[in-house]
Amino acid sequence: MKPLSGRWMLWLAVLFLGTGMLSPAGAQDKAAPGISAEQVERNRKANQECFACHSEAGLHKLPKEGLDVKKLRSLLQSPEVFGQSDHQRLACTKCHNEGYDEHPHEANARESTSTCTDCHSKKANLIEKQFEKSVHADLADKISCPTCHNPHLMRVADKLIDPRKIVAQDNRVCLGCHDSDEQFARFAPDKKQRPLIDDVHHWLPNTRLHWKAVRCVDCHTPLVPAGEMISHQILGKEKAEKNCLSCHSADSQLKTRLYRHLAKEEQQKLGFTNSIILSNAYVLGATRHPLLDTLVLGAFAAMLLGLLAHGLGRIVARILQRRKK
Amino acid sequence: MAHREYLFPLWLRLWHWTNALLILTLAVTGLSLHFADPALPLVEFSLAVRIHNIAGVALIAAYAFFVVANIVTGNWWQYIPKPPGIVGRAIEQAKWYAFGIFRDDPHPHTPSKEVNFNVLQALTYWNVMYLLMPVLVLSGLAYLYPELAPERVMGFDGLLVVAIIHYLAAVAVLLFLLSHIYLCTTGKTVWSMFRMMITGWHEH
Repeated sequence: MKPLSGRWMLWLAVLFLGTGMLSPAGAQDKAAPGISAEQVERNRKANQECFACHSEAGLHKLPKEGLDVKKLRSLLQSPEVFGQSDHQRLACTKCHNEGYDEHPHEANARESTSTCTDCHSKKANLIEKQFEKSVHADLADKISCPTCHNPHLMRVADKLIDPRKIVAQDNRVCLGCHDSDEQFARFAPDKKQRPLIDDVHHWLPNTRLHWKAVRCVDCHTPLVPAGEMISHQILGKEKAEKNCLSCHSADSQLKTRLYRHLAKEEQQKLGFTNSIILSNAYVLGATRHPLLDTLVLGAFAAMLLGLLAHGLGRIVARILQRRKK
Repeated sequence: MAHREYLFPLWLRLWHWTNALLILTLAVTGLSLHFADPALPLVEFSLAVRIHNIAGVALIAAYAFFVVANIVTGNWWQYIPKPPGIVGRAIEQAKWYAFGIFRDDPHPHTPSKEVNFNVLQALTYWNVMYLLMPVLVLSGLAYLYPELAPERVMGFDGLLVVAIIHYLAAVAVLLFLLSHIYLCTTGKTVWSMFRMMITGWHEH
């Protein structure tokens, strides 16, 4: 198996941060739809041969001598993490296909490494059109799918299920560059200064709390119809969602964004509106209790009516008393 | 015979109107946030959050001042109904609100420097200021610093409990506010008690 290229490793370095934009809810593992249990087991065993060197454990117990340990150290993967990823059922050689069967790997083996579109062509066509309108479109020669979506780690939202895990995974991708001068400089046009992430979000109350509870792409992509994959048209600050009520209201967009994969779950648990959101976060304005609100408004109405009646009674009594006199 | 008596010192009146202004600000912004709806724009959401947070912190400061000043000046004693005959006086006061006021009966209680409030007033103010306000302020603080809230409660985000307590405490304070404003019209004239809270002088 040939060592991975510098560029590939650059992807990995950035993308160790996780995946998100290619892992929308609803995305299916169509690249390996009919793979049998026996084949999965064969792949798992075959992958163990790769991990014998390309893992932390392998590095400390190398199966053969004469390996370039320094180079190998930059080419490690975690079998445990890969075992949880969307590609876990596949053999390493599904993508690292030609020239990796023997060691030393062939010198030009990495050039034959499969790209995402080799398997995900239909999805890639749609994504490409969206990407062309994205703020990242100008960086097309520097970035590609795995820049953001590490194929060794990625997990689609409807498999991660827990919104907090989805948010953590996906926001690490964005913040990996946008919260790091070093990573930002790798991809940004020359001389472009990285906007300080806290400064540009100054208008957003509880900024860091938002980043733990909601994905960057939930505001920085255009809304798509329910059931469609989240858009890859990343919006800059001018076009990104700034209307708080888009999420903070009873008809919250969160239902069709971060929580879309949970749309079929119970939405009225214990009488709360959007209770599925409430399982993860209390979202002011969205996760309300209509019955409680009705009771509260009823209490105000009763108080006002009572006071009004009392006041009117005093006025009437005063008038009657004056007439008597 | 008309009497005037200086009942409320300047510090208490300043606190009262500061508190009133803050409560109104918090009520308007709080309602904007709780009932956030594109069809009902009151105060813009992110602006409402900022105003509510600032006014909330100011309310905590005002409340702390109230508590300390009451201890220092001994004014806290005014909020404690004095035996004997507390129940009897409470019933008498309630009867006056229910019936006597319509017959133009005299007030059962005449405020004095020693006893500012009637029994029902003292009990209500004590409960609002020393039970309700701490709940409102503490739940507000937990809301301001969500990391103080429990992680999860009954399968929901722990902030839900904080939010509901804060909401209900705010509702109780606002219900009190409505009755408080109305009952201030039951003085010698409709405006005399409002004037008293500005000048400090009570008109018998």
